[in-house]
Amino acid sequence: MKTDRTAIAEVVYRSCLALDEKNFKAYLDLCDGEFQYTITAHSPEIRKDMVWLDHDKAGMQSLFTNLPRHNSDHSPVTRHATVYTVEVDEAAQQATVVSALQVFRTSLDGGATELFAVGRYIDTVKCGGETPKLLKRVVKLDTRQFGFGYHIPF
Amino acid sequence: MSKSSTQWHQQPKFPQSHFVDSRIYTDEQLFAEEREKIFNKCWIIACHESEVPNAFDYRTFSHPGGAPLIVVRGEDMQVRSFYNVCPHRGNTLLYDPVGNAKRITCIFHAWSFDTKGNCTDISREEQGFQKRFCKADAGLREVRAEVGFGGFVWVNTDDSACTLKEYIGESLDMLEENMSMPLEVFHYHKAIVDTNYKLWHDTNSEFYHDYMHYFNRVTGMLQPGYFDRKYTGYPNGHASVGSMEIKYDAYEGSKARGVGWPGLAPGGWILIDIFPGMTYNLRTSVLRMDTSIPLGPNKLLIEFRGLGLKSDTPAQRAERIRDHNMIWGPFGRNLHEDLLGVHGQGRAMRPGSEPTWVLHGREENMTIHDEGGMRHFYAEWSRRMGRKSYDPFGERKTSAAA
Repeated sequence: MKTDRTAIAEVVYRSCLALDEKNFKAYLDLCDGEFQYTITAHSPEIRKDMVWLDHDKAGMQSLFTNLPRHNSDHSPVTRHATVYTVEVDEAAQQATVVSALQVFRTSLDGGATELFAVGRYIDTVKCGGETPKLLKRVVKLDTRQFGFGYHIPF
Repeated sequence: MSKSSTQWHQQPKFPQSHFVDSRIYTDEQLFAEEREKIFNKCWIIACHESEVPNAFDYRTFSHPGGAPLIVVRGEDMQVRSFYNVCPHRGNTLLYDPVGNAKRITCIFHAWSFDTKGNCTDISREEQGFQKRFCKADAGLREVRAEVGFGGFVWVNTDDSACTLKEYIGESLDMLEENMSMPLEVFHYHKAIVDTNYKLWHDTNSEFYHDYMHYFNRVTGMLQPGYFDRKYTGYPNGHASVGSMEIKYDAYEGSKARGVGWPGLAPGGWILIDIFPGMTYNLRTSVLRMDTSIPLGPNKLLIEFRGLGLKSDTPAQRAERIRDHNMIWGPFGRNLHEDLLGVHGQGRAMRPGSEPTWVLHGREENMTIHDEGGMRHFYAEWSRRMGRKSYDPFGERKTSAAA
């Protein structure tokens, strides 16, 4: 069982690499069967917290299956996470991990890179198994404007 | 067969109402005129009443005609709108998008105003102005504001414009029952796209582009009744599209909608475009409202709102949010595709590019793939601009219906 900070942080980093590479199977392999994924943002304009995406593991699988059927911007995005805090609950065999997130988009034509989004990952990592698994991920976005947008979750 | 330059510029073999000159999407002069002749003459949605629920709540709004506005609910609970401009030195009065202010005080020289636009304090008034100028001379510029048609706050910078009711006419009658209960905004985000506002409104005015949406193809286009939906045009450039039943469970990972909406058939979908850039889009359990705020001929800010019923239980609201996010959220299946489409048009029709014709020529008895909704818009655009959308500079030797 690996409950050390390095192993837990590595799950976060590997999740970024997998999504950057659009390797959705590898991403889902990092997730527990009870995985829950949510994107949230706060709107000062309407004074409300908003949920922008909310899926369980099966929902994420469906989303990934459907994406190639849709028209999407093909510019690659790069997720850059920095693990700030890892709080392990030994009794529950879980860790709460807070990471800073920056997402960069690089244009296909010319390769210019721009900052696309900033926010945080607030992850719950299950530590009891062979390797740590993502049990819950909340992507708390500060950025709320994405131009013409993007299909693939952060 | 590809075309030479001469062939490329030949007038399409359609009536003149069935195509436009692409320069109406790129020209700076036309854009300046549109601000004056269209956006500063028409009723525009500034926000929803649920965004200013309490006395003294305010919301700022960047009016597409150019003026920065405040929408504020007074102590008498009436919603009013003013220029967000201090009459002293032209400073912005309220900087935050929302807030609550019993007194609106300019940070520059501390002049204060109440929620009826009266100036209530001029710092060191007598010492500086003696009897030459006083608070009564320093009121805010009020803009006509009305709350209606789903609880939206409409504003009009033209003091002599018709009433909101006259402007809307019968165009929103189809939604009257659906909007009989108080609504509440649960989703808000903005997108800035390099495109023209009319191209976004076009996208909301034609369904032929369902070919772009995998979701709409499998849940709509392949289902019975899809091709029966009909466009109806109304005075002032508004247009509606009748309902059909969307088969949501035809999309993998989606399912039939449960919450529904008062007065709307299960799986129903009603869309009404309000000139010049607002769209009511009611789909099963969610009302989406788009408001276009053009920033330039090829730069558009769109405000997206998702609304449910104010009476929603937490479970109902959560389901509406899920329904909304599946297709219309910032990571939803359809919104990115629509934005990508108009972004592509903005790229292709950039200023200085060779002008061309944009076709609105499909005729299918005004059913769903007919382009009559756009033709109706451009007839109103031409009327208000005093220009022909197919020949905006009066320089083409266009012939009548070919």
